[in-house]
Amino acid sequence: MLVLSRREHQSIMIGDDIEIVVLDIRGEQVRIGIRAPKDVTILRQEIYAQVQQQNVEATETRPEDVPE
Amino acid sequence: MTVETRRFGTIEFEEEDVLLFPEGILGFEECTRYVVLKHGEGSPFFWLQSLDRPEVAFLVADPAGFEPEYSPEMPPGVAQLLRLDETTPRLVYAILSIPHGKPEQMTANLAGPIVVNVTERLACQVVVEDGEWSTKHPVFEGAGGTEPSAATAA
Repeated sequence: MLVLSRREHQSIMIGDDIEIVVLDIRGEQVRIGIRAPKDVTILRQEIYAQVQQQNVEATETRPEDVPE
Repeated sequence: MTVETRRFGTIEFEEEDVLLFPEGILGFEECTRYVVLKHGEGSPFFWLQSLDRPEVAFLVADPAGFEPEYSPEMPPGVAQLLRLDETTPRLVYAILSIPHGKPEQMTANLAGPIVVNVTERLACQVVVEDGEWSTKHPVFEGAGGTEPSAATAA
């Protein structure tokens, strides 16, 4: 993992097309702005992780439990 | 062509039946090829059976059957990945989870629907960001207050 420190209003470029901007920092919360091409998916990591976890759980489903 | 599966034994399929997930499904990125199996004649349930790993299969159904309000916004990039334009026929499925022996507790992952380009047999799992829909949406009447629909608990 590349680790950088940024202050408010500073930003980070990822490749040529993605920019991450630190908009402001208030106490424990940092507001982040992201500029990226339309085809790039941007998600909070927890949602991504929850969907992945639910997929794994879903593979436990057994045909005999499916209502007729 | 045939494939061995854990749940259904040996199944036969044609190459044109294969559904391709170019990016796989979250947690199963290496599984890109699936066939869709009916659970039973007239059943609203289907199985997405992986052709890459015989033990991997997902029970799915059209969420319109139990959640008519469900119409999540497609994130940008999905249309491009699936080669969809306004007129392309598409299907939306939700992956279902049933705790062992408790069909009445079936839930649908409405935060991560499967979108299918029917014509080109391309599909992906979309993560819906708006937070309105849950990964564990109850399918039957219960805490969520959803009416039972085409399927009823055994």
